[in-house]
Amino acid sequence: MAEKGGKGYVPPKGGKSALKSPVSNGDKSKKGKAVQFDSEDSFESDIPKSNGEKGSAPAGKGGKGGKGEKVANGTKKPTAKAPSSTEKTLVDGLPPNSVCLMDCEAAEILQGIQDQMVVLSQDPDIKLPVSFDMGLSYAKRGGNLAKPQTVKKIFEPLKKHGVSESEICLISNVGPETVDEVFALVPALKPKMSTLKGPLRIALDELAILKDALAKLKESI
Amino acid sequence: MYVKSKMTWNVVLPAENLDIKGLMLQKAIITRLMSEFAAKKASKDLGYFLTVTTVGSIGEGKVRQESGGVLFPVDFSCLTFKMLVGEVLEGVVYTIINKGVFLRCGPARNVFLSHTMMKDYRFVPGENPYFTSPKSSKIEKGVTVRFVVLGQKFVEAEKDFQALVSINGDYLGPIS
Repeated sequence: MAEKGGKGYVPPKGGKSALKSPVSNGDKSKKGKAVQFDSEDSFESDIPKSNGEKGSAPAGKGGKGGKGEKVANGTKKPTAKAPSSTEKTLVDGLPPNSVCLMDCEAAEILQGIQDQMVVLSQDPDIKLPVSFDMGLSYAKRGGNLAKPQTVKKIFEPLKKHGVSESEICLISNVGPETVDEVFALVPALKPKMSTLKGPLRIALDELAILKDALAKLKESI
Repeated sequence: MYVKSKMTWNVVLPAENLDIKGLMLQKAIITRLMSEFAAKKASKDLGYFLTVTTVGSIGEGKVRQESGGVLFPVDFSCLTFKMLVGEVLEGVVYTIINKGVFLRCGPARNVFLSHTMMKDYRFVPGENPYFTSPKSSKIEKGVTVRFVVLGQKFVEAEKDFQALVSINGDYLGPIS
């Protein structure tokens, strides 16, 4: 929170190139904010408020903030703010040494351990948590045989457009078929809709081709 | 969502488990770590504990005066499952009441979808009660439902989570 406040009131740097820079900078949120606040004093009190809302509100509210700011000025600013709030909402409850995994990654790890358990279970001292089996069956629920490395490669280009690791995991886990489905289920991506549509479509098409190929391979075996 | 975390725990090895052969000692430490990990079941921050994936370094042991056991600090990675607020997940319906349905989502058993969080659905009582919508989609026992997590609570005594979920929104609801 202190940092946010800081950003809000640092403006003097950004100065006057102001209004256009957030539009051209896209994801560079710091500059965008500074410039905006400086140039429009009357909005100064409003913008931090919307910041606060986003920080605490669930992902679904990102869109609202976006609309408000469009009125204030250029369209890119919400794009810059929304990801940070999403990231907070999703990963907020997790300790710092933690990373989110895709279901297929988890399935690979858990399956590997279950395979080893055939040997290890001969030792009665070696125990697995009660949640292990349910965790494994949930990770494998889609019957998705795609290698996590391949799925990661497919979604890799989205990172250039400011999509975070946890958002990529969300998209992958949902297993969407259309771009609209992605934006409906991960509303935090809505502010970036215009820039993300293309890369997302490509990624989903590639994923669909991969799944089809794997399904056919499975049938032939 | 599945979460991979790095942790450091202190593992106390009872004196009788100590062995002069290094490898056996290492095995005893890892076995003890796994059994303590399994016993912990879940935590508020990390969710449900699934497995220890890798063991990093095992620190120098310190003898405990009272018991004679030796305490080793162990760095390890583990895999857990936690439902995050705003996340879209899938669950299987196992109980239906007029106020809503209970779902199982991976290791989580107490996932509640209230009837207020499924717009347009109405409860149909009977031997096999179900919820139905005008679009003729049905939520009954055994059906898989895609939902969004609204909130959750960790019950320390039961080492379990209770979650409230919703299907109000596009692309949410029963999956055929």
